[in-house]
Amino acid sequence: MVLEKVRELIAEKINCEPGSITEETKFADLGIDSLDVTELVMSIEDEFNIELEINESMVTVADLIKAVESKTAKG
Amino acid sequence: MIKSPICEMLKIDYPIFQGGMAWIADGRLAAAVSNGGGLGIISAMNAGGDYLKRQIEIARSLTDRPFGVNIMLMSPHVDEVAEIVAEERVPVVTTGAGSPIKYMERWLEAGITVIPVVASVAMAKRAERSGAAAVIAEGEESGGHIGELTTMALVPQVCDAVNIPVIAAGGIADGRGVAACFMLGAVGVQLGTRFLLAKECPVHPNYKEMVLKATDISTVVTGRRFGGHTCRSIKNDFTRNFLKEEYAPDATPEKIEELGVGALRLAALEGDKKNGCFLAGQIAGLVNKEQPAAEIIREIFEEAEALLKGASLWVK
Repeated sequence: MVLEKVRELIAEKINCEPGSITEETKFADLGIDSLDVTELVMSIEDEFNIELEINESMVTVADLIKAVESKTAKG
Repeated sequence: MIKSPICEMLKIDYPIFQGGMAWIADGRLAAAVSNGGGLGIISAMNAGGDYLKRQIEIARSLTDRPFGVNIMLMSPHVDEVAEIVAEERVPVVTTGAGSPIKYMERWLEAGITVIPVVASVAMAKRAERSGAAAVIAEGEESGGHIGELTTMALVPQVCDAVNIPVIAAGGIADGRGVAACFMLGAVGVQLGTRFLLAKECPVHPNYKEMVLKATDISTVVTGRRFGGHTCRSIKNDFTRNFLKEEYAPDATPEKIEELGVGALRLAALEGDKKNGCFLAGQIAGLVNKEQPAAEIIREIFEEAEALLKGASLWVK
């Protein structure tokens, strides 16, 4: 559920097929830099109504999903 | 006089900041700019706490006016210097190269006015949300660590996105740049390159000479390929070698990061024209004389004021 939504948001942002994004995909391989990650996190925060911290360990889609899940589980 | 909300907020005469240039912006330069009515800024750069404490002491011995400290968030000593600015109750902290959220609570509690440098709308919004009093929207015309947007495109978009004052940086060196940034919605400016030629700027004379000699096309950006350390500096053997290595087939982010180590110090302290990294903005070509910091500020704002007063010329 989180994966699907995150995929959708990424795909919408960078104009690609959601199917081409897996949990293992690295942001760098999608051409997503730190400024893009910040913007992506903002839209994810709005979507899930949470607040996330951004740090350098956010490298893959799975890292982002983990961060989302840790917040939604609490909420 | 040009007065804006940022003057009132920081108790400064002119809405101008001097950029926190690593290895260059020390207590002496910061005090000279603050004494000139702007906001002088000490760079905490990659140094440890003792260096910063000493520079704060020097600035305080030379001025009673407010000054700031720029904290480079990628510094290995960031935790230590972040605590020192809180203990020392430095009036203003600007931050670069990342998100300062981790330190916000401590700084706000110490009564510090926190003004992060941002390179995008999303960064600006996050800064506002975490308690920043203002943001510095820095375009890629700047020297040093940069984003991708130009000042012209970034500043109005950031102004629309946040409800805190926006200070423009990148590509500004005279009254024309200041007037233009106010038209874009900014209420203050930050200049680095022009202050390299302040009489009180301690940088090596060779560095000043490089900036004086620079033209509009003298700077180049390194580090774009792998991101993370995208930097603008004056073209020389260092940048040519860096770019050759950066775009070599066997280049890796780790190898590239290694190339830059020590190069800022070589430029700023030793004036090594061959191996040093001379950070400067695209506007370097406009900087053509050495002057006291106070004179630079006065001159810029006299020009900006005349231009803003005459702006109705175009409205028929």
